[in-house]
Amino acid sequence: MEAVLTRHLDPTAPLGLPAYQANGGYRSLTAAFDLKPEALIKIVEDANLRGRGGAGFPCGLKWRLRGTDAPRPRYLICNLDESEPGTFKDRHLLYGGPHQIIEAIIVSAYALQAERSIIFVRGEYAKGGNSLSRAIKEAETAGLIGSNIGGSGFDLQIEVHISGGRYICGEETAQINAIEGRRPNPRPKIPRPSVKGLWGQPTTSNNVETLVNVPHILLNGADWFRNLGVNGGCGSKLFCVSGKVQHPGLFELPIGTTARELIFEHAGGLAKGRDLLGFIPGGASTAFLLPKHLDVPMDFDPIAKAGSRFGTGCIIVFDDVTCPLQATLNLIRFFARESCGFCTPCRDGLPYLAQILTTIAAGQGQANDLSLLEELCAMIGPQSFCAFAPGAVMPLVSSLQCFREHYERHITTGHCPFDTVNKKGA
Amino acid sequence: MNTKHNRQDLHSFLSQHPSIHPERRAAAVPIMQALQKERGYLNDAAIEEVAHLTGLSTTEVEELATFYTLIYRYPVGRHVVQICDSVCCSIRGADELLVAAEKYSGVPLGAVTPNGALSVLPSICLGLCDRAPAALVDGEGLGPLNKVGLEALLRSLGEED
Repeated sequence: MEAVLTRHLDPTAPLGLPAYQANGGYRSLTAAFDLKPEALIKIVEDANLRGRGGAGFPCGLKWRLRGTDAPRPRYLICNLDESEPGTFKDRHLLYGGPHQIIEAIIVSAYALQAERSIIFVRGEYAKGGNSLSRAIKEAETAGLIGSNIGGSGFDLQIEVHISGGRYICGEETAQINAIEGRRPNPRPKIPRPSVKGLWGQPTTSNNVETLVNVPHILLNGADWFRNLGVNGGCGSKLFCVSGKVQHPGLFELPIGTTARELIFEHAGGLAKGRDLLGFIPGGASTAFLLPKHLDVPMDFDPIAKAGSRFGTGCIIVFDDVTCPLQATLNLIRFFARESCGFCTPCRDGLPYLAQILTTIAAGQGQANDLSLLEELCAMIGPQSFCAFAPGAVMPLVSSLQCFREHYERHITTGHCPFDTVNKKGA
Repeated sequence: MNTKHNRQDLHSFLSQHPSIHPERRAAAVPIMQALQKERGYLNDAAIEEVAHLTGLSTTEVEELATFYTLIYRYPVGRHVVQICDSVCCSIRGADELLVAAEKYSGVPLGAVTPNGALSVLPSICLGLCDRAPAALVDGEGLGPLNKVGLEALLRSLGEED
């Protein structure tokens, strides 16, 4: 397919305002201001644009649920706090084309009639965040941001917040706390941010990839967007493929493309002589899938049906010399470290899982360790406060199912079966 | 920079910064970042300064400072190398790089070299999985790294006075 979101990305020399406009940039503003905000939301709904940050919630519905009578000021938060292992799509958007992000925010904020927008950039992307701030200044000077934009009567301020750096800040309500200068623990689910979010005002949060689709949908129509997908999917998707492939990278392809095509055609397949052990389809907090799932369309519903989550659509590939226990231990350690510490099941449970896995990895596992791990996972997920811990245990639960014999061999033989494989010369 | 001058700078920073926000506390993280940029890390005096400027208590500021991984409460080197230890980098050799980094820098991960030039820190996924194993060198992405490249990098950064 023809590149849509990545067409003008260039991390070495991102387009400045004049060049971006010369390539058709900011055209969607005129199209948007010709429409009533309500009509714009309808187009996004008709396009069936689903959230690209991981949850897949329909963007148009999210916007509609905020309501047209929401009190002012209203906030739009653009989530660019990408920290999910395996995921680097937002980095490409940020470093490759800041004006595309700004255009998307202006149009989306207009649809929501939100007069204040914050772009929350992860701290590790600070240099990209600084370039984005400069691009915002450029757009302000050109009258694309500010009061009465283009004579539309619509006012908008955009600010970049560069995070102090923690995974949990990517969670919608933790992010609101972070922006307010509070400890970034997630908030209770009710009241929803759409009712009472940033500073107690109606707040809509969208992932940056979700938003950058909006100008294209507006200019080309909902049907055009729906037809970009394959196998029943709608739109294009920024897929990442990393791990044990020859050419890790970002690939913009129709949503619904299979993992087989992504891994073997676009990412160059595995190293010579290596076989696929399994893959994680949507970032670290999604369940492992097996080679038998290679032909499942990479889209929200088919991947859920296969027993995992589409998440960020970013595949991590494991080959047959990678120990799945070690890989899973790495994931659990990550989550144990990144727990915000607010609730006990997550704060204490995840390190406990890491401890048991470390013991098994060291060849000192006990026969009942695997059932203990399963029992703990079943408790930690449902009893924790936010979606972090359920996501954290997901790869472990699935790893125990998919690769059980490898776990058992660690326990029965007292060493890692992959050590000998690797020593033979991987 | 003397404290008085610094105060003025921060006050003007603050007056420009949170126009979008109704409360001064929103400036806590930006102010911590600005102070850190200047001083390398936040000492107790800096925590008090942030508290003064934002209207937060020192305890609240401390709570934030210690929550965020990119806010340093201890000195770091003039150059900071963050090596990713998450799954994509790990399965492509990051674990060995982290061990080797201690050897090349001559100090444990997290410590500062005696000349104050360098700190190597392990990091969560840096969003550089397409360049795994990867690192951020003073905020700039680098990868894929191997031991030879890492040794050259750390030795050259560590030798700077």
